[in-house]
Amino acid sequence: MEHPGQTPRHLFFTGKGGVGKTSVATATAISLADRGRRVLLVSTDPASNLDEVLGVALGPSPTAIAAVPGLAALNIDPEAAAHAYRERIVAPYRGVLPAAALHSIEEQLSGACTVEIAAFDEFSKLLGDPAATADFDHVVFDTAPTGHTLRLLELPAAWTGFLTDNVGGASCLGPLAGLKAQQALYDAAQRTLTDPAQTRIVLVSRAEGAALREAARTAGELHALGVGDLSLVINGVFQARDPADPVAVALAQRGAQALAELPPELAGLPRSEVALLPFGLVGVPALRALFAGAGETTPDLPQGPTPPDMSPLDALMPELERRGHGVIMTMGKGGVGKTSVAVAIAVELARRGHRVHLTTTDPAAHVQEALGGPVAGIRISRIDPVAETRAYADEVMRTAGAPLDPAGRALLAEDLRSPCTEEIAVFQAFARVVDEGEAGFVVIDTAPTGHTLLLLDATEAYHREVERSKGQVPEAVRALLPRLRDPEATRVLLVTLPEATPVHEAAQLQKDLERAGIHPFAWVVNQCLTPLDVTDPVLAARRAREARYLGEIESLSTRMVLIPWSADR
Amino acid sequence: MSVTIQVFDPAMCCATGVCGPSIDPELARISADLEWLRGQGVAVERFNLSQEPGAFAGAPLVQQALQARGVECLPLVLVDGRIVAEGTYPARETLAALAGIVVQKQAAPAAKPCCPPRAAGEPKCC
Repeated sequence: MEHPGQTPRHLFFTGKGGVGKTSVATATAISLADRGRRVLLVSTDPASNLDEVLGVALGPSPTAIAAVPGLAALNIDPEAAAHAYRERIVAPYRGVLPAAALHSIEEQLSGACTVEIAAFDEFSKLLGDPAATADFDHVVFDTAPTGHTLRLLELPAAWTGFLTDNVGGASCLGPLAGLKAQQALYDAAQRTLTDPAQTRIVLVSRAEGAALREAARTAGELHALGVGDLSLVINGVFQARDPADPVAVALAQRGAQALAELPPELAGLPRSEVALLPFGLVGVPALRALFAGAGETTPDLPQGPTPPDMSPLDALMPELERRGHGVIMTMGKGGVGKTSVAVAIAVELARRGHRVHLTTTDPAAHVQEALGGPVAGIRISRIDPVAETRAYADEVMRTAGAPLDPAGRALLAEDLRSPCTEEIAVFQAFARVVDEGEAGFVVIDTAPTGHTLLLLDATEAYHREVERSKGQVPEAVRALLPRLRDPEATRVLLVTLPEATPVHEAAQLQKDLERAGIHPFAWVVNQCLTPLDVTDPVLAARRAREARYLGEIESLSTRMVLIPWSADR
Repeated sequence: MSVTIQVFDPAMCCATGVCGPSIDPELARISADLEWLRGQGVAVERFNLSQEPGAFAGAPLVQQALQARGVECLPLVLVDGRIVAEGTYPARETLAALAGIVVQKQAAPAAKPCCPPRAAGEPKCC
């Protein structure tokens, strides 16, 4: 481990969902604090697990962690940030403007746009305003899964450009005069991000092909954004201790093979390894132990037999296919296998003779890869934010822009370049896909929880806006929320692993969904050791631990399906 | 000499409305018209209720209209401090006339007639 004096001030941890970003980021923050540094740990994930991992209730300002002197942590909760932002605008006018006017301001400021802007302001402050973090030597960011992280990292560049070029008075970002004042902050945030002396980005991965490919893509994209100092942590590296245990042998074999085929973008990066532990990484003592087994190498192991092929999802099929059409959505924490469950269901529906549209709202998902090759009856697509935004802008220019003079068109084109356009474009694409469920089967692999929550919040906010809208609203948009709320029209599958954080995140998601009037159809527990015979001591300890989480799921769900662990997930 | 037009918009995301769940062509049209008036040397100020509530609180006429008739009175258009339109955005010609600008009607090319601002809601135009 390097001397803390050589560690840059800002550390970002990124990687595919479920690789252990929170664990590695938190263990790093604890380790720096234990060596006398003052550390602020920050989560920017709307579905943050930091509270559970540290065992402390966190808020939007730093909370000292009693068990670790020198460490404080906070959550940038986009909804809470938006609420504070609304309050700052409305509060001075209580009793000055009529209540109806204030109410209409609050309604307008409850959309996705405000949520994004408010969260971005908080993030920029931590990076660009030295006074905001003056009490700390290091700021450690446990960032949201990759697609979202990249967008967050791109924002300072995109918005700085927007502010330089936009001349037409107000915009959805607020009155321009106010934003110009913020520009110095955005510039500083961007400079901090790209300076290797100040910022290091740590790519966290598992020894698995998909996670490593994702890390390689991120490395390429970060490089293109001008972020210089990258390093790699391989988490959960496993050595089989019992050569008679086929699951253990297969797991170790898969890891060794993945590391042997390390993508070239990653091969040159400084790398460290963290061993798979027999216990869950919740609580400060467990996190302190995380780095204890680092640095082990994986020996060559013989190829083991693959576990028996079971299709537990079959149990859900009669109910899923009963109406002959509908929307099926997989939701859950990053890395729990939402894509593979969505693909398995699409394949089974197609095998039973249905036509299926398989799609994803996750910018980082690779449905095509997961499906392997073309399958008869299955059409694949993805809701790509960049393509959707372009299509939406073209459509607006073609309709609302058509009757305008050139200056008016220029003004409209300018507003369409604002970062909020992407939110509405993605939302409209989502509404169109859900609409298809009226005529056939649509299987939607959603983005990780935080992202999906924002999409659902946007759906509710837009639904209210639609109800008082004067413009032409597409029918698909008007019908979206009622369709998502209809348990016959939309089946939500909550996908999880039999571990603490994915189960608790899914439980919270279920609560949030139910508050929005959406009731999950079933829980799918992926990568279970429980149905398998394992004798390896590490795996046997992990399997024993599963019982507790399976019990929790049973009490939370009406239907529960276990998918056994498999080497070729 | 110089006329000031003030537009007090209802609470909305951006001036052209492209960020909302539906596009209101009227918003794109009025944005273009106000930009055109600016080009003609008219001082144009535009306030969005959700972004600059202070401007609404600081304008007595606007305050009174809000108290008496609620947010339905928006948009309010003021020319030199006098309310000239309530609940609607006036057409370009009306705004120009109120600002004392003589609009030179351009001789329309025969093959490609230019559409009047009122046709803004029609999808196929020009």
